[in-house]
Amino acid sequence: MSGHGLEQHDAPATPHRPTRDELIERKALTRQRVAANNETITVSMGPQHPSMHGVYQAVVDLDGEVIVATRPGIGNLHRGVEKLAENLTYHQFIPLTDRLDYVSSFAMNHGYCEAVEKLMGVEVPARARYIRTIAHELARLSNHILWLGVHIMDFGAQTFFLICFRDREYILDLFEMVCGARLTHSYARIGGVAKDLPDGWVEKCRAAVDFLPKRVAEYERLITVNRIFLKRARNIGIFTAEDCHQWRITGPALRAAGVARDLRKDEPYAAYPEVDFEVAVEYDADVYSRFLVRMKEMYESCRIIQQCLDNLPDGPFLAADAAHVLPLKKNVLRDSAAMVQDFMHVLRGPQVPKGEVYRSIEVPKGEMGVYIVSDGGPKPQRLRLSTPSFYHGQAIPAMFEGEMLSDSVGIFGSVDIVLGDCDR
Amino acid sequence: MEARQENVEIPEALQVVFAKLEEEFGDTFLGSSFFRGELTFTVSVDDYVAVATFCKESPDLAFERLDCLLGNHYPKRADAPFEVVLHLTSVSRNTRLRLKIPLAEGQKIPTISGVWASADWDEREAWEMFGIEFQGHPNLIRLLTTEDFVGFPLRKDFPVRGTVGGRIRTDLKGKI
Repeated sequence: MSGHGLEQHDAPATPHRPTRDELIERKALTRQRVAANNETITVSMGPQHPSMHGVYQAVVDLDGEVIVATRPGIGNLHRGVEKLAENLTYHQFIPLTDRLDYVSSFAMNHGYCEAVEKLMGVEVPARARYIRTIAHELARLSNHILWLGVHIMDFGAQTFFLICFRDREYILDLFEMVCGARLTHSYARIGGVAKDLPDGWVEKCRAAVDFLPKRVAEYERLITVNRIFLKRARNIGIFTAEDCHQWRITGPALRAAGVARDLRKDEPYAAYPEVDFEVAVEYDADVYSRFLVRMKEMYESCRIIQQCLDNLPDGPFLAADAAHVLPLKKNVLRDSAAMVQDFMHVLRGPQVPKGEVYRSIEVPKGEMGVYIVSDGGPKPQRLRLSTPSFYHGQAIPAMFEGEMLSDSVGIFGSVDIVLGDCDR
Repeated sequence: MEARQENVEIPEALQVVFAKLEEEFGDTFLGSSFFRGELTFTVSVDDYVAVATFCKESPDLAFERLDCLLGNHYPKRADAPFEVVLHLTSVSRNTRLRLKIPLAEGQKIPTISGVWASADWDEREAWEMFGIEFQGHPNLIRLLTTEDFVGFPLRKDFPVRGTVGGRIRTDLKGKI
C-alpha cells in the first residue's frame, strides 16, 4: 500500500482533457475482453430486483463476472399514454404528463405545454415564464438530489440516501405550497401556470436556494473526494460522444462526454435566455463524470432560481388568449365572457391550427421531445413523447458490455432512468 | 402533401439543409413544408435509406442523432394510410429536420437501425403499435405490450377500452 490511509484526498485534478481517440482507447482498455465460446451463466436482474430502479429487467449473460450480453425488458409500466392523449383534449392531458417522470413532474408538464404553445402560437406572459423557470429548476434539483441518494446507495452507502431525502423535502414543501401536490404537480397550463405564487413563497424559496448550495457542498465533501467512490466510479461505463449520439443519450450523460449540448442554451425557452448560467461539461465520459456534471448542475440551478426570484416580474401568470387558454376559475362565475370561454374549453376543447410540431426541452434526465400532429380538432391526431429514459434504457446493453457485474449497478444508476418515463 | 408556408423567413442554418438536400435529391422528394420553424421533407420508401444516410454522413448536414422515429395512422388516406416520421438532430450545427415516409397498408420499410442504433426500439414500437414492418430489423418483437397481445393499439380503429391483453401467461414458464 502506498500513501497514508487517513490523509485527506483532494479531488483528482484533471489538467489533461482526454481526446476522442484517448477516450476510445480507454474504453477498450476498461472493458474486459471475453473469449468466444466460453460457457456463460445467465442471471436475471429485475424487474423487482432492489438494485434496479423501477421495473426494468436486465437478463445478463455472464462469463465469470464479465457481462457478455444484456437483454433488457421494459413495458411493465406501459399505460398507453399516447393512445389516451388522442382521446383527451389538450388541457385534459396535462395531469397524465405528471405520471411520465414522476420524480420531476413539473419538467414533464412544462415540456408538454411548451410543445402545445408552439403549435398554437401562444405567447406566454413574462411572469409565467419566470415561474416556470423557477419550478423547472426546483424539479431539476429534486430530481438530482433523489438520483444522488439512490446512486450512492447503489455503491453501498445507505445513510446518504436518507440525507438526500431529507433535503428533497424542502423542495417538495415548496411545490406543495404552490400547487398543493408533492409529486404530481400538474402546475403548468397552456399559456402559463395554474396559480400565482402564494404569499411568502418567494421568501421561503429564497431561503431554500440559499441553503441548498451548502448542502450540495456537504455532499461534495462526502462523495466527490471519497476514495471508495473514486475507485469504484472512475473508468467504468465509458460512453464517448459518438456512442451517445448513436444511442440518443442526452442530458448529463452527454455533457459528461464533453459535448456542451444544453437546450436551455441551444434552443432557449421560458426565462432561460434572460438568466446567466453555465453549462456543466465534463470530459472523461465515465460514471464519475456524470456524477460531477449533476453536482455542477445543482449549483447552477440554485443560481438560476436566485436570479429569477430577483427579477420576478409582476403581471398576469396566464396568457389572455380566449381561444387557447382556460380561464381562471374565480372569473368563471362572475364574468359571462369567462364562463363562455370555460364552457368552450371544457365541452369542446381549445382551437388548434392544423399542423405538426416537435418541441424538445431539457428536462433533468435529458432531452424530452413532444411531437404533436393536429388535424384542427380539439384533440391531437397523434402525440408522441420521445422521452429520455426510453433511449437511455435502450443503450444499457451497449454500456454493460464487457463491464463487471458489480459495476453494472453503478452504470445503470449513472444514466438516471425512471420507468414511468420509459414505458409511457 | 399540402405545403403550409408561413410568412416567416427560414433561418439560415435550415436554408443550408434545404439547399443541400434539394441539390442532392431534388426530384425524388414527394414534398416539403415549413411550419413553425420546422423543415419537413416527404420521402418515398425507395429513397428513404439513401436520404437518411446522406443526412448523417454529409459534413454539411451532420445529423448525428435520430431524436425519434415513430409511426402514424391516417385511415382516411386511401393510398397511403401509414406514415413513418423521423426527427433528426444535428448537435454540432444545432438544426433539426423531419423526414416523412408515407406507406400503403402492409407495405414494408427498410430498417434504419444500422445507421442510428437508437432506431432499434423506436422501430419495434412502431411495429407493435401500428403493424408497420421494418425489413432487416434484427429483433422485431413486442416491446411494451405482452407477448400475446393481439392487434396494433395505436391504429385508429383500435378501441381505447377493450378486453384484449393484460393476461399473465403461464405456458411460458421456464422458457424466458
